[in-house]
Amino acid sequence: MSYNGCCFFAYNNSEIDYVQLALLSALYVKKHMKNNNTCLITSDGDYNWLESSLGKELVEKAFDEVVITDVKQEENVRTHYDSPWTTFDSHFQNSNKHLVNEYSPFDKTLLLDIDYIVRNDNLDYLFEQEHIHVGMYNSACDLRGDPPDLYEQYLNPVGVPMWWSTVVYFDRSETSDMFFDLWAHTQKEYSFYKFLYSFPGHMYRTDYCVSVASHLMNGMADGDTIHKIIDGPMQYMDQKDDIVEIKSSNDWIFLSNDRNEPWKDIVSRNLHQNLHVMNKRSIGRNFDAMIGAVT
Amino acid sequence: MDDRLEKALEFSNYRMTIENQKKNLKIRMETQQTFMYKKGTWRADQLLISFVQSLLDNEFQHAVIQDSRNTPIQIDDLHEFKLMIIEKYNEAMNEFLIETNKLSKARNIKKVMDW
Repeated sequence: MSYNGCCFFAYNNSEIDYVQLALLSALYVKKHMKNNNTCLITSDGDYNWLESSLGKELVEKAFDEVVITDVKQEENVRTHYDSPWTTFDSHFQNSNKHLVNEYSPFDKTLLLDIDYIVRNDNLDYLFEQEHIHVGMYNSACDLRGDPPDLYEQYLNPVGVPMWWSTVVYFDRSETSDMFFDLWAHTQKEYSFYKFLYSFPGHMYRTDYCVSVASHLMNGMADGDTIHKIIDGPMQYMDQKDDIVEIKSSNDWIFLSNDRNEPWKDIVSRNLHQNLHVMNKRSIGRNFDAMIGAVT
Repeated sequence: MDDRLEKALEFSNYRMTIENQKKNLKIRMETQQTFMYKKGTWRADQLLISFVQSLLDNEFQHAVIQDSRNTPIQIDDLHEFKLMIIEKYNEAMNEFLIETNKLSKARNIKKVMDW
């Protein structure tokens, strides 16, 4: 029987406690999924901080495996929103995400971003399908069911489809090795691929790397070498939205901001769906309630 | 603000919230209808159920059926497949019905949110 599970990368910075968010995300995996072994990939210092801040017992409950990787990270400054009215910059560290196939202790791995909250068992099917070697989402929608901006559906307005590195499933196969080799290559030659595929921004985004790798592996067409995850479009809470109430582990109420008229919000109740919670400070504000719902 | 205008705007916000909830329920329902079988991706909807049933009614035990991503899939046991589709369909629809009924009974935003 194969050893399956979920991996989380977490490196703290001065603004966001990523390891605490990873612990939260891992507890939701434990609660809702069948393939619920978990592995934290972090640095020595951040792991020590996690144990001292939340206690060894809770950390051991959340994670079955810990991989310490004190690699030199290339700093990547990202501007975050917390509501439409507050922004802050943080040094986001994601330059070794493509090495997850080396770090992962699992035969079949689901790599989850620490702000992706699992609230059902829909993703378990991935571990049961022998023909799926690499899988990701290639569509998304917000709390109102609307698609994201055009630049998050395609790499440019006339470009190739965007794939999301928020959730990456992979097994131990030649196909998955090829995928990670292409991801590493795209990262190394990022400027060239940015020019070739005309994707925007100054920040290094792993979403663009996996989109390029998927496009190449699908034979530069809309193929099926890379599996499109069937758990609907990936639903996300925008950084400008906020959490109002955690009623239970899979019943949450949000304030959903209007992208065109930012002074307007509506309340939105989200039941049972897996969610990419992009406003990380809102997780921090509701951390106790979110932990309380799964412990 | 004029009382009537305030009421109208409040009603507009209420309708907007309800429509958003309906949209979310539909996304959830469609997600639940989708499943994998024999390497194919399927949506357990009325069309697929009727098609498989009509094959069975015509005494087919196996057939090649195009999945929702247009890949031809050999189905060796149509009866087993039909049972699986119906199970997925019922699971999705029962939840959809319960949540839609709750929504239709809620006459204000507080009721929708169970506040």
